[in-house]
Amino acid sequence: MSTGSPSTQRNTFTGWLLAPGVFWMILFLVAPIMMIVYVSFWTQTTFAINSTLTLDSWKNFFSSEAYVGALWTTLRLWLIVLALTFIIGYPAALFVGLLVKSKTVSTILLVLCVIPFWTSFLIRVLAWRPMLGKEGAINIILQKLGLIDSPIEVLLFSELSVIIGMTQIYVVFMVGPIAFMLGRIDRNIIEAARDLGAGFGRIFWKIIFPLSLPGVVVGAIFVSVMVLGEFATSGALSGRKVNLLGNIIVTQVGSLKWAMASVVGVILTILLGIVVAGFLRIVDLKNEL
Amino acid sequence: MAKNESIFRLENITRRFGALTALDNISFDAPRNEYISLLGPSGSGKTSLLRVVAGFEKPDTGRIHFMGRDITDLPAHKRGIGFVFQNFALFPHLTVFENIAFGLRNGTDDVTDAEINSRAQDMVELVGLEGLEDRVPDQISGGQKQRVALARTLIMQPKLVLLDEPLGALDANLRGRMQTELRQIRERLDVTFLHVTGSETESLAMGDTVAVLDRGRIIQSGTPEQIHDTPSSPDVALFLNRFNLFDGRLSAQSFQGPFGTVPVSYVCQNPKDVYAVRYDRTKAFRKGDALPGPALPARFLASEYLGSSIISFFETADHKQVEVDHHLSFGDPDDYNVGEEYILSWDPRHAIVFGSEVAA
Repeated sequence: MSTGSPSTQRNTFTGWLLAPGVFWMILFLVAPIMMIVYVSFWTQTTFAINSTLTLDSWKNFFSSEAYVGALWTTLRLWLIVLALTFIIGYPAALFVGLLVKSKTVSTILLVLCVIPFWTSFLIRVLAWRPMLGKEGAINIILQKLGLIDSPIEVLLFSELSVIIGMTQIYVVFMVGPIAFMLGRIDRNIIEAARDLGAGFGRIFWKIIFPLSLPGVVVGAIFVSVMVLGEFATSGALSGRKVNLLGNIIVTQVGSLKWAMASVVGVILTILLGIVVAGFLRIVDLKNEL
Repeated sequence: MAKNESIFRLENITRRFGALTALDNISFDAPRNEYISLLGPSGSGKTSLLRVVAGFEKPDTGRIHFMGRDITDLPAHKRGIGFVFQNFALFPHLTVFENIAFGLRNGTDDVTDAEINSRAQDMVELVGLEGLEDRVPDQISGGQKQRVALARTLIMQPKLVLLDEPLGALDANLRGRMQTELRQIRERLDVTFLHVTGSETESLAMGDTVAVLDRGRIIQSGTPEQIHDTPSSPDVALFLNRFNLFDGRLSAQSFQGPFGTVPVSYVCQNPKDVYAVRYDRTKAFRKGDALPGPALPARFLASEYLGSSIISFFETADHKQVEVDHHLSFGDPDDYNVGEEYILSWDPRHAIVFGSEVAA
């Protein structure tokens, strides 16, 4: 076919429609990531950095107990928070998306879920301090009720407080997509299953859960991406005791250790890539959304 | 199995939704091993009735008996009644085979895997879905979905299958084929079908027994011939969409309508005086022709060719539309000129007269 044919021309034209987006992504996504990878191999001295390529920062990361420990802490907290957001979020989504018959009520409930977002992220995190502290709301109430004699100290400035904080902040990202998928299930399907003699448990595991799985995957991706990159909640609620990969990047950047910050950045990016790809293998989202 | 034995019986079923009475004191006795079609316009309560029989909804008052047992308080799955949904409601994530096997695999009965597989395979063959077992509902056609929905219900060996406008989601061509097929499948099994439809042709074509539902009440039930030839009220005649209905006044053995005064020999009891004559009994004549009965002047509007017959539309002086159905096996139709006036007439013996006054 000659290059001047209408169909080739159209293809060239539609190709150009992508140009602004491609340009934008290259400039602000691909290039910075390449830069981070590149900088992670630079030579870092105490007060300066130069572009001589070296593996020193990578070796430092994997030989330091603190850094590798942060990697494991990040993975552990991510799994715990992911599990908790799912365990707490799924029943809530089930209620909002499926059990509530009226569309108006379910919309109102979903709006209620996002009300915490009307205030800033930092406020939401810091609000946990007066809740969980030694003289915080929870301890006072439990003491007044006579359930405990002395305040529970592990509530604040511990891994537990970070988990509580993150779960509360991110659970809504699990509820939303699941409730959306559940809301799309044809109620007749559930009645049909019931008519065929399936009990509630069977209907849930054989019909409702499989049909909501795409929502679970999307929710899990949202939560994972946000939790893995977290640094603010752990910084504010752990009293610096819990160090996540995100916290290390913040401190390294703060002390101008660009090479080490880049190493952690690359590791975090790879980790996120694996997690997202893993979730997408569970469900083919192309067919679902 | 003896025919005409009752399979289910409704006793004074009433169901209200707020101020709306969906089912108004319905009593109905359904013969066993038949194809029963329930005809009603939308909003007549036919889906409500089906859902009450299926057990998805409870009647406010009244009892339901099924195979000699009172099932009013039994939940849907314990009734042994199958339900085919209007939109089929197939499980979108399961294959055709697993859709069909679902009830056996997940039901309360303990069935071995080997038996499940063989019974599901039998069903696949019964409804003619061989080769499609591993497809998911998105990959099959509307008619095939209909078959899956039916097979999924029949595998539970119900004695009664409720079909909620089962052909509504299919195109006209397929609808005709599925009509025959539904009847054939039913005849092969010892099962009663209760088929709800808004289409008068469908209900007459398919039902061994037809029940006509209007505003929450069954206003007539009988064989298709009975319903078609002797509708018990003008409402039934209206739903059948085969009658020209004229308002008028009945008095001492004559009916006064837009066509003049005609003698009446037999009157069906009805609060309102209505004169009904079937489309295919109504004929159009030119001025001056000999008429078989009353004369109703009307202007020709248009005609519609239906293959085996032609329906011509006329308008009377008081802007009432009258239809004339000419079957082509009775010869070629006359050519009518649009806007020209003709005389409509019929043999008065074929008319049905409804009225409050009983003729002598």
